[in-house]
Amino acid sequence: MNQRRPFFVTFLAPAIVTAVILAAAMFEVLQYSVREFIPGSLNVGGFTLDNFVRIQRPIYWWVLLDTFYISLLTAIFALVLSYPVAYALVRARRDWVRSLLVSLSITPLFTGEIVRTYSWMLMLGSDGFVNSMLQKISLIDMPLQIMYTRFGVVVALVQYSMPVMIILLATAISHVDRDCEKAAANLGANPSAVFWRITLPLTMPGILSGIVVVFAWTMSAFSTPQLIGGGKVLMIANLAYLQGFSVLNLPFAATLSLIALVSALGSLVLMKAVTGRLERRLAIS
Amino acid sequence: MKKLCIALGALAMTATAASAQEKLVISTWGGNWKDGVAIVGKEFTKRTGVEVDYITGGTLDRLAKAKVAGANPESDLTNTTAHVGYLYYSDGLMEKLDYSKIPNAADLYPMAKRSDFTVSDYVYIYSPVFRTNAMPKDFKIDSWEVLWSAAVKGKLGLPDFDPSHIIIAATKLAGVKPDEWDKVKPKLLALKPSIKAFYQSDATSQNLMRTGETPVQVMLNINGYHLEKLGLPVKIEIPKEGAVVGVDVWGINAGSKKKDLAQKFIDLTLDPEMLAQLCNFHKCSPMNPKTKLAPEIASLPGIFTTQAQIEKEAIVLDDKTYATLLPQWKLWFTENIMH
Repeated sequence: MNQRRPFFVTFLAPAIVTAVILAAAMFEVLQYSVREFIPGSLNVGGFTLDNFVRIQRPIYWWVLLDTFYISLLTAIFALVLSYPVAYALVRARRDWVRSLLVSLSITPLFTGEIVRTYSWMLMLGSDGFVNSMLQKISLIDMPLQIMYTRFGVVVALVQYSMPVMIILLATAISHVDRDCEKAAANLGANPSAVFWRITLPLTMPGILSGIVVVFAWTMSAFSTPQLIGGGKVLMIANLAYLQGFSVLNLPFAATLSLIALVSALGSLVLMKAVTGRLERRLAIS
Repeated sequence: MKKLCIALGALAMTATAASAQEKLVISTWGGNWKDGVAIVGKEFTKRTGVEVDYITGGTLDRLAKAKVAGANPESDLTNTTAHVGYLYYSDGLMEKLDYSKIPNAADLYPMAKRSDFTVSDYVYIYSPVFRTNAMPKDFKIDSWEVLWSAAVKGKLGLPDFDPSHIIIAATKLAGVKPDEWDKVKPKLLALKPSIKAFYQSDATSQNLMRTGETPVQVMLNINGYHLEKLGLPVKIEIPKEGAVVGVDVWGINAGSKKKDLAQKFIDLTLDPEMLAQLCNFHKCSPMNPKTKLAPEIASLPGIFTTQAQIEKEAIVLDDKTYATLLPQWKLWFTENIMH
């Protein structure tokens, strides 16, 4: 009997190969994290837990906390700034307004992270656009320190994440049944009440996925904190890079990467649980 | 059709074989560094008829690739920093040089022959540099100690990839050896108020100086000269304790099938004529004393033209100590100074 393979097996093959390679790479990271670093050598030593002991020093906890804090702030600010844009994008009546908003929101995706970060360096520097403007209109006498601060890093990361957040929110807003809004308005709800009690809750799945995606994305941010943070604001990826690629201490860099991965996965599981609960509550109410 | 395919295949194989025979592959940095090597490469092709191909990348990226390639190297020759050269040859990734086939090596300053595997064609320095229009009028850095002064508070930029310069300077100030750097940890911690930012590359170093974000930096002299050329009022200082020397070296990749050609190339890089071209281009210090630099280059601060000047102004660390201590320095610096 001629048994035919299901057609999707062929299509699954690339995904399976990629997954196997990824798993092998992860295993390499894991095995490097428990190896001894030998200064002045390209080879690693025997098995050790020293890297995990070292990582318990307060500095690494602070960097991890900083990474969470910056990622959370980025997700929240990206949401707040992206929602009105996404709303206007979906609800604008004129085609040209929609086209303009699409271009403005999505175009940044086509410029590299480095290019965008360099632009922010020019904007936020001591003699950059922001400080020059504030000095010209006499709001400040001395330039504000924005570069090399968490604030500067968050500003650049928010702008970097906004296109993705806008796409996710616009999708959610476009799925809102307008009849529900009309029904609420017919029953006497003013536009503000319609938004807060109908539109916003119905777009909650998009809001929650936006937060999760941007949070996870920012957890692995590298170039932006590297350039805007100038070594004064370190995120976990920068720390791993400094150890791995400045001095080839690959075992310790692997330990840092592993901790970053576990923390990111842990926080995503936690967020998923919280958002799942929230979605269920919204569905019930 | 079949005949055409066979003919095309044969042609492709012949072309590949010919190019493999006639090309010397060099691994070096990108940008200006590659342009400098290409000056020698052009002359090499002119003299030998052998084409030169370049593979460019970062210092440690190239080292990692060489490690992965093992005995089948992608390049025949590697141009890297001296302490990274140590990592290459201590791991068996470089061939021993036959100095009898590199006659120009006999003329070099003693510090240029780094090992049996690596030889230096030129050096540069890391030294304090400042923007004259962003600092008080009488400000000067005649000693590394000035970087700890109130005048530099919140103005200093340092490389994030290599804290060795400031650590070596601190040991020099304290009168101890670099491997006794534990003794200067409190001194280094006292530098924290001076530091405003860390730079990641030559480009970000120049950018921080250009924008005035860090008007004082421990900077590569070549970057300082470049900023001067752009019209920026910067001053490159050589402190009385000396400037920390960075050494670039050449080594032959282990497993290279073109060892003789590679040695010929190294010999050419050490030729006084070639070094003059190279160092006038980079504004660096040639390791062959017979090199005649343009007077305006020779008079720049940090350009060494005699052995006496090297002894007076240069702080040079041996490659093994550098390679072994750098990871410890880096880890301590990240944990205690950067965050």
